[in-house]
Amino acid sequence: MEVELRFFATVREAVGKRTTRRAFDPGATVRDALADTETRVPELEGRLLADDGGVARGITVMRNGTNVTHYDGADTELADGDSLSITPPVTGG
Amino acid sequence: MSDTLPPVYGGKILHVHLDTGETETEAIAPEDARRFLGGNGFVAKQVAEHVPADADAFDPENVLAMAVGPMNATPFQSTSRGVLGFISPMTDGFFDSTFGGTLPQALKTTGFEVVVLHGRADEDSYVLVHEDGAEIKPADGLAGAETYETCQEIRDREGVGYDTHVLANGPAGENQVRYACLVHESEIREGVAGRGGSGAVLGSKNVKAIAVQGGEFEPEPAGGLRGRSVQQMGRLMADTEMLQEYGTAGLVNPINEMGKLGQRNMQTERADPDDAEAISGETLRDEYVTEDTTCANCAVKCGKHVSVESEGVTEAKIPEFESLFGTATLQEVYDIERVIKANDLCDRLGLDTISWGVTVAFARECRERGLLDDNDSPHLSFGDADGLVELARKTARREDFGDDLAEGSFRLAESLEEGAERYLYGAKGLEFAAHSARGLKGMSIGYATATRGGSHHDTRPTMQYDGHHDETTEGTPEFAARIQHFTALGDSLTQCRFVSEGGWGTEINESYTEAINLATGWELSVEDVERIGERIYNLERLINAARDVADRDADTLPHRVMNEPISDGPAEGMYCPPEELDAMLDTYYRFRGWNDNGHPTMDTVERLDLADVAAAVSE
Repeated sequence: MEVELRFFATVREAVGKRTTRRAFDPGATVRDALADTETRVPELEGRLLADDGGVARGITVMRNGTNVTHYDGADTELADGDSLSITPPVTGG
Repeated sequence: MSDTLPPVYGGKILHVHLDTGETETEAIAPEDARRFLGGNGFVAKQVAEHVPADADAFDPENVLAMAVGPMNATPFQSTSRGVLGFISPMTDGFFDSTFGGTLPQALKTTGFEVVVLHGRADEDSYVLVHEDGAEIKPADGLAGAETYETCQEIRDREGVGYDTHVLANGPAGENQVRYACLVHESEIREGVAGRGGSGAVLGSKNVKAIAVQGGEFEPEPAGGLRGRSVQQMGRLMADTEMLQEYGTAGLVNPINEMGKLGQRNMQTERADPDDAEAISGETLRDEYVTEDTTCANCAVKCGKHVSVESEGVTEAKIPEFESLFGTATLQEVYDIERVIKANDLCDRLGLDTISWGVTVAFARECRERGLLDDNDSPHLSFGDADGLVELARKTARREDFGDDLAEGSFRLAESLEEGAERYLYGAKGLEFAAHSARGLKGMSIGYATATRGGSHHDTRPTMQYDGHHDETTEGTPEFAARIQHFTALGDSLTQCRFVSEGGWGTEINESYTEAINLATGWELSVEDVERIGERIYNLERLINAARDVADRDADTLPHRVMNEPISDGPAEGMYCPPEELDAMLDTYYRFRGWNDNGHPTMDTVERLDLADVAAAVSE
């Protein structure tokens, strides 16, 4: 299955592009997508995933626009065609 | 109860009588510092004691009170913020509006924690505050001058350069545009007291600017505050990374991803991602930002300057996220260079970009619906970027349709045919900020119960974007109330909200309590500190209840928020129907100890040690 990864702010700076499409095996989770990104972008190593495997403090992840805290966090399963937005924390302006 | 005032306070309140030129000094009672802390709490008390409940915002009996907090000019980070308190021409209720820069730190060193302007000057004037008191000086030749121009001219007249710190009105405030703001241009960044119409109130007093020259007072924290502040720096810098790099404009893309960024006067809440990208923090940083700017004693440097050669804009203040909502997405204008031009113009003229932008978007929808037409103004089409620039000029001068826009969207709606009110976006007469009243449940109840109506600094959206109380009403009224305590406390400490939330916590907690105790030598518990925030919020409510602008009927949301679900995108279907709001209000009032009509009960007033001030309010 294919997932669109969308990067913002300092995460985008590290990745060097706005979006990318990545293929994952069925059953892949948000954790798999974040780990894959950390592997491909050494600058992000340890910044997307916490030691316990959850989404790192200081990162907000949205699946199709909904914060994954409303699903199962890093355990959230992805589906073909999903978009995953990865950004520094969103504050109140 | 403390017997003496901690030496972190300068200890004095300066009253300036504009009609006679006389000044008087009042000592801050130790128990008042303990009850109201500073900033927001202090100005609320001044408004409660000095403004009669039947005085209009433009009545000379209204005051403009400016205050700083106990930790200003100490190692506690990012506290060079001032608070203005007044009765608002928008809401007819109490309003506090904050600003950063260098002026607040300079004021702290004069020893005056609060300066209160009373009455009305006979002729155009500016007020110069220094450690010996205040002087009322003629503002000859400044009529019609823009904000930055006024700051520069007063600095030149006083002859000590940026050591005269100026907060100035523009033409909008002189013309009493109801949402006129005040602008402070310091050597290191601009600060704007944006909301509620502080500029209009100052204009009604015939005062063009307030200038401050620092003094010798140095606040003395009880001990350990420096070390505790240093301890917090790592987290503070890590959690404000986006603000450091992009300023608040960095929020455009992520909030658009959530489908909670209003477009076309809130007809939808998600822009095409390429349109959002065009006005985003990322685009601004890549193509227009020339330098970072900062308030005094702040390492975050969320301020930026931008230049746009094609528009003749050089080193202008970057449009903030809220301004991009008001002047870009709500207008369906994604030409960032025109948006920067319009924002720079608003800053120069002294227009609140939120209220002005929402009012223009409201008028544009009214034209679309046949309630206005091209005879009213030729600039009322969504997407008309050039029209924005023209409307800003006309609003500040109250020319043609600009005179209608200058009244704000609620008063404009009243002047139109029935039905126009369906397109309003605000509460209690104040237009909402960018954080969705439909897509964030905490903002639904937070806006409805806010002292200031459409302010995003009563209940905060920050935790909601992290997934707390954004999609559920369960526990949300209590959450909204407690965050209102948090913001009242923060604006009384006068610490920048971004640094508070990023560095010290998004709720009242042990860290804030420890810092306050280290500064003052008090021995407060977390519950005591929460009570301070609760006390201040209740005082604001008492002021507004006495003015008949705060009750169950006033605690409401606009038609669209209660009747039209978000039409598409990730937040599709979200809104706050009347029965949902009603149920949240019941819970909210019970949690607060207010009666069914939303007024604090006598038990609550006594529990919060507010009986004396409540009596002053009702006199």
